[in-house]
Amino acid sequence: MNRDAIIKLLKQPVQWVEERTGVIAFSAPLLTHHVPRSAKWWYVFGSATLMFFTIQIVTGVCLGTMYAPSASNAWESLRYIDEEIPLGWMLRALHGWSSSAMVVMMAIHMLQVFMHGSFKYPRELNWITGVFLLLTVLALAFTGQVMRWDQDAYWGLGIGAAIVDRVPVFGDQMRALMLGGPIIGGETLNRFFALHVFILPGAAIGLVGIHMTLIMKNGISEMPKPGEIVVPSTYRKEFEERMHKTGVPFFPDAAQRDMVFCGVCLILLVFLAAYYGPFGPGGMPDPTLINTNPRPDYPFMWIFGAVSLLPPASETAIMLISPVIGIAILVAVPFLSNSGERAPSRRPGMMLLAVFVVMAIVALTWEGVTSPWSPVMNGWSALPTPTQFVKGRTPLQMQGAVVFQYAQCRNCHELGGFGGKRGPALDEIATRMSPDQIVRQVQQGGGNMPAFGKNLNSAQMTAIVDFLSTLRPANEPDSTIPGAQLPLPIKSPLTLNEPFTGTGVPAEIATGASSR
Amino acid sequence: MLRIPNFFSCLLIFASIGCDRMPGKPTVATPVAIGSSAWTQSTFDTNCRGCHSQGAEGAAIPLIDAGYWKVATDAQVIQVISHGQGVLMPSYLESNGGPMSAEQIAAFVKGMRSLWGAGSPGGQGGISDVVVAGNADAGAHVFASACASCHAAGGSAGSVTDPMYLKLISNQGLWSAIVYGRAALASPAWNEPMPNHPNGLTPTEVADVVSWIAQARPVSPANNQNASNAK
Repeated sequence: MNRDAIIKLLKQPVQWVEERTGVIAFSAPLLTHHVPRSAKWWYVFGSATLMFFTIQIVTGVCLGTMYAPSASNAWESLRYIDEEIPLGWMLRALHGWSSSAMVVMMAIHMLQVFMHGSFKYPRELNWITGVFLLLTVLALAFTGQVMRWDQDAYWGLGIGAAIVDRVPVFGDQMRALMLGGPIIGGETLNRFFALHVFILPGAAIGLVGIHMTLIMKNGISEMPKPGEIVVPSTYRKEFEERMHKTGVPFFPDAAQRDMVFCGVCLILLVFLAAYYGPFGPGGMPDPTLINTNPRPDYPFMWIFGAVSLLPPASETAIMLISPVIGIAILVAVPFLSNSGERAPSRRPGMMLLAVFVVMAIVALTWEGVTSPWSPVMNGWSALPTPTQFVKGRTPLQMQGAVVFQYAQCRNCHELGGFGGKRGPALDEIATRMSPDQIVRQVQQGGGNMPAFGKNLNSAQMTAIVDFLSTLRPANEPDSTIPGAQLPLPIKSPLTLNEPFTGTGVPAEIATGASSR
Repeated sequence: MLRIPNFFSCLLIFASIGCDRMPGKPTVATPVAIGSSAWTQSTFDTNCRGCHSQGAEGAAIPLIDAGYWKVATDAQVIQVISHGQGVLMPSYLESNGGPMSAEQIAAFVKGMRSLWGAGSPGGQGGISDVVVAGNADAGAHVFASACASCHAAGGSAGSVTDPMYLKLISNQGLWSAIVYGRAALASPAWNEPMPNHPNGLTPTEVADVVSWIAQARPVSPANNQNASNAK
């Protein structure tokens, strides 16, 4: 057979299918449609997001063949995938890192669209489907964290349930709907599994389809230029004329940049997965294990930070209302401004807003990661009193330093740069508070500090206050008000023994003026 | 034509050999062997170091200190860890509400001695590491000559007869404070030069002075419990 005959033979079944489905005629424009000549490297982020989504589906299906979605076996099945299945850990690592990468890439894509004003007429619905895609992907990330069924998952669910529970009137029912009962259990895992592998991916695939269809319908926006304003009545006609004249076909002109960028992303993803490995599973999801430090995954770290820093009185209102307002604002973006300038230089307010939002999310993520509000739970037994606060102290003050450890003050208060950051560092406390004030603070607490009055006896209180009163730099005075009477040490009612005044001891030392 | 298959077979070999040994692969955590020096060190670092550290660090007796392990016997250290001491040293034995079994405590003490004991089996300091009862009247004179110049009320190193101090420290605590001293804080050990005692104290004098100081511990109906705890 000659070459033409082979090609003809191969073409026959394709033509047979094409004649009956029209699939080639339908999908060819995906490759051949014209995109603006100016669409260069700014336009690769959406494709990369789609690539990560594809990876999620592929790795997710593979994991689905091995994961056991039952409360008693889920955690074990992850250990099994990690340790027994060849490269099973790599599959989990790819799924986990690709999930984070998708969220990040999506955020970058969205930021680029926002800064270039690409959401303006006629692409309002592109933006809105994108917002719903964002929400779907975040929901996938949260439910995916639950799939690990470890301590992070357990407490993440607990926090989620506690937030839902605060909804007025319907809180109980909503929490029951979320957890599948009054407590976190097998039913909870099963409904999150259904969400994670059926409902949400289905929704995401549908939304991606709509998103792509809209892109085909409305075209890719051009790079914004100052002065080229969007006028809805004439935009579409002019845009289509420009595409016809100066546009380039998506494949290969724009697609090659997408492919290069996606390739780099893929290499980075494999590197991250190979080097850092899969996420969790952390400890067993056992609510009786209090020695745990649960943290949400990175996409939610900023929410964790924000919620932790809220003033307690405003928690319910802010936690319930701000997501609604936030989503409403995101959806409303193209309606608030769907025409006019697209160039960043002509929209300085919007640029400032974008910078502010990015900075806020980065800062809150940082706060969430470091979580300085969490006590250092073993600070009292693990962090020694620094040398400079031990040297030159009296026996009573040394006992006070031990009481300071014993009463676990160190878990919330730093000394010498080590300790909890929940309360203020106490290195220079004596310059700020007089012994009387320290007694009051330790005894009664206040300012979010618990009262220790009932946990410390008079001797412990005396010792700890005596120790704390020495915590100041040598060249700074203590906080005693000049001329005020020195505070009286807290004495027990029966102080029986007078200081010894035996022979050989100078009277002024033996009888002793106060050392203060 | 051969290049592409070669490339892929190389990749396949690399993948089958290399990929499953990447740094990201989760390792099966091997439990730290009880009694190993890593276990001893981490147990110490999490549970003890806050108060018992080394040198001038930490407010209670440093345990990372060869001088301590020379005098201290395993039996006494096990006793203190198991049952606590005075008001501020918690008890670590399970039956006392602590986190460790008797075997773990024994292994821990053995581990600390091998880490920091410089080969000494303990009990070699020429003095008992357990408090011995003495004669308080004789102790008064020892205190006046050897201790009072620094440790009388208002003394340069701070009073040791302050009732608040004595409510926090047991007689065993006083004994250990005198026996071990605190070299890094310029506090002499029992057998190091003190005022009027160029060769330090004798074990009898230590016992006497502890008995005398302990008399200053306030005893009243209200703090009977504390006082008995302290002893």
